[in-house]
Amino acid sequence: MNVRSRRYALAGAATLATLGVIAVLAPWLAPYDPGERVGPPFARPTPTHPLGTNDVGQDLLSELIVGTQVSLLVGTVAAVAATVLGTLVGVLAGYARGWVDTVLMRAVDVVLALPVLPLTIVIGVFFGPGLLTQISVIASVIWAGVARELRAQVLSLREREHVQALRVMGAGGVYVLSRHVLPAVAPLVVPQFVLATKTAILLEASLAFLGLGDVTAKSWGTMLSIGYARSAFLTDAWLWWIIPPGLAVALTVMAFAVFGYALEERSRPALRDASRPWPRPRQSPRPDRAAPAAPALLVEDLAVHYRSDRGAVTALDGVSLSVAAGELVGLIGESGSGKSTLAAAALGLLPPAATVTEGRILVTGRDLATLSAPELRSTRGGRVGLIPQEAMSALNPVRTVGSQLAEAVRAHRTLDQEQTRARVEELLALVGLDPDWAKAHPHQLSGGMRQRVVIALALAGDPAVVVADEPTSGLDVLTQAEVLAVLVRLSRELNLALLVVSHDLPMIERIADRIAVLHAGRLVETGPAADLLAAPRHPHTRSLVEAAPRLRVRVPGGPR
Amino acid sequence: MALRVGQYALVLAVAATINFALPHLAPGDPITYLYGGTEQGLTPAQIDELGAQYGLDRPLIEQYGAFWSGLVQGDLGISVEHRQPVVDVLAEHLPWTLALVGVSTGLSVLLGTLLGAWAAWRWGTRRDTAAVLSVLAADAMPGFWIAMVLIAVFAVQLGWFPSYGATSIDASGAAWLTEVAQRMALPAATLVIASLGGFFLLSRAAMVTVLDEPFVRRARAAGLRDRRVALRHALPNALLPVYTNLTLALGAVLSGAVVVETVFAYPGLGRLIFDAVTVRDYPLLQGAFLVVTVGIVLANLVADLTYPLLDPRVRRARPALEPA
Repeated sequence: MNVRSRRYALAGAATLATLGVIAVLAPWLAPYDPGERVGPPFARPTPTHPLGTNDVGQDLLSELIVGTQVSLLVGTVAAVAATVLGTLVGVLAGYARGWVDTVLMRAVDVVLALPVLPLTIVIGVFFGPGLLTQISVIASVIWAGVARELRAQVLSLREREHVQALRVMGAGGVYVLSRHVLPAVAPLVVPQFVLATKTAILLEASLAFLGLGDVTAKSWGTMLSIGYARSAFLTDAWLWWIIPPGLAVALTVMAFAVFGYALEERSRPALRDASRPWPRPRQSPRPDRAAPAAPALLVEDLAVHYRSDRGAVTALDGVSLSVAAGELVGLIGESGSGKSTLAAAALGLLPPAATVTEGRILVTGRDLATLSAPELRSTRGGRVGLIPQEAMSALNPVRTVGSQLAEAVRAHRTLDQEQTRARVEELLALVGLDPDWAKAHPHQLSGGMRQRVVIALALAGDPAVVVADEPTSGLDVLTQAEVLAVLVRLSRELNLALLVVSHDLPMIERIADRIAVLHAGRLVETGPAADLLAAPRHPHTRSLVEAAPRLRVRVPGGPR
Repeated sequence: MALRVGQYALVLAVAATINFALPHLAPGDPITYLYGGTEQGLTPAQIDELGAQYGLDRPLIEQYGAFWSGLVQGDLGISVEHRQPVVDVLAEHLPWTLALVGVSTGLSVLLGTLLGAWAAWRWGTRRDTAAVLSVLAADAMPGFWIAMVLIAVFAVQLGWFPSYGATSIDASGAAWLTEVAQRMALPAATLVIASLGGFFLLSRAAMVTVLDEPFVRRARAAGLRDRRVALRHALPNALLPVYTNLTLALGAVLSGAVVVETVFAYPGLGRLIFDAVTVRDYPLLQGAFLVVTVGIVLANLVADLTYPLLDPRVRRARPALEPA
């Protein structure tokens, strides 16, 4: 749990604890018995009755304090019942699967589809007002949400290796369930319970407001119901009769919501580790432009640090690298070596946790750090293009190939519709695709074709430099060769400065003019591909070369 | 799709069966529930006679069959309070609820989704936190309370809006429309505030996930403006889970409508349900419950049928797109 969500969890828990104490001590805290007539009816606030009195002269402050009991009681008891039922159903359905799952989840879906409040009203009316009715009615509609959530959790748990291993070894269902599944699910039940309580308290207030509460045990909802019936909200009395109980409900529900939200954020790593917004480009006072003869991509003495919970982590340290026009440089490194950080830095797309602590990156002679936001944007795609990792999902699934290409073209040039269309067709032809594919959606294309489209997208703004980050990941061997051939051909035809980042040395050695080896954030060796492979100097390079399988498939157009 | 339709049919069947079963399960005499009983001034002899007349002495399964055949013919019984067929009473009030819930859901979806996407774009920043906390606070307030506070402030203190009803009798034409809009403003605002939270959290979570997708990064790498990346790449994909979860949201808005219409004396189904609760008009209450359920199911069906417009991946296979 990060600092912030811990703080929220704490604030929520503290509020709830205070409310709990008030509920328990209510009989002693309340200045009067809320059931007694202690003043004139409809009295305005006075020192003896800080919130005035209601229509029969009962003290409103005492009602508010004692009301905490009923609201919390109904809320928590209903939520406990719903959570127990929901957990049983969810765990059983998720664990048993098959027809048990089908039947149970159909029931859950049906309950979830029914309108909550009208359903509780209909049941509540038939069984008459009262605490027990309220509790069972509320529990009977909110268990389904708990069941659905827990079933999903159990299903994913079931696929975990240790549970699967136990089953393979013949462990009994009850044993696995009670010793391995339930303990793992238990922490996930807590946020569900908290959210169920929140819903239950709001439902209780609504039911009480509609006159379906227990008239003998007044809750905040009952207070509001009577206040509404006596039109307190049309007079000044709204300030002391309507506002306080509503705020009390809101505060309680909010405390549960914040607490549950913090817990959920903890239990859902997907939510916690998700991407953050990107950083603004650093504005450093270094206006110098490199000499015109500079290489298309020049990385000088680059150091990048990541902030993390355990302090700064160095991703890149003193990396210098250049790629000239028409040159194909392969950057080799294992995962975690910093190669993807280098690729991101070349486009000014580092995640916010990363900082460039030293050095600079020059793209066609322009230092990325000195560029304003619009300049940086036009540099991306216009001067340096990216062929990203996971190319299979690098296309927007809901838009056509053509519209994405057209958009990338228009980001850098003002063209009319006809010119844009022509350029899109030209780009598709460039990567060896028929122009008709512009009308297709990404899912209609094969993996290799999608990768070609991604290459076309990287070229849309006519960049001088292209960075390809693991361009063949997720493709089969034959498609890999095809895609590499396209890359090599384009780098020659368009005189591109192409930096190919990969962990795959055999692949890189087939296409690269020069190879750079990155190890633990440092560039350990750089040199012409043939020299480097024939006589690796650094021990790390040597081990890489020795580990690589010697099977040569010539890529057409690659280095001789 | 057939599976979804079957699921919806099941929901309706269960809702109808709940309606049938409740009078028999609840303590007391079904006649009391169905026709008002002694409270309506019936003598025990009349009650027995009514029981025989309506077949309450027949086996339960036969009664269930009769209940269904009546339902299929649109017979929901007679309202005790209004002394006319439940169907007619509902038909009279339904348009107002449709208008109010339609406008509120539309606004709520729009605001909640955009605000959620906006917050996701600023994930983890102060503005994101502020948005989440405000939305959780709005979500924590009971709808009927928001309604009373809005009336107290905007109708009573400031006098900007009328506090009750849906229209006035003497207005017509354009004046009528203005009147309707004015009177819908506060109830709709209440419903939007009370139901925004679900959409916000859903859209924020979806957007955070989508922003992590490689295609968003690629779009940025192509040099697109942030706004374009957000609106044309991330949002259309983040909308998909929001759209498929319309059930949750619509249920919330409809539940809100019951209490909100009550406070504003809005002549819709919600107010009707409240009145039916007050006078214990059981047939009317059951009919209203059924109609609300049908409404939710229909809305979901529409959402299912229109989903392929948003997501090309589930569109029916077109003639193979092969290069010439």
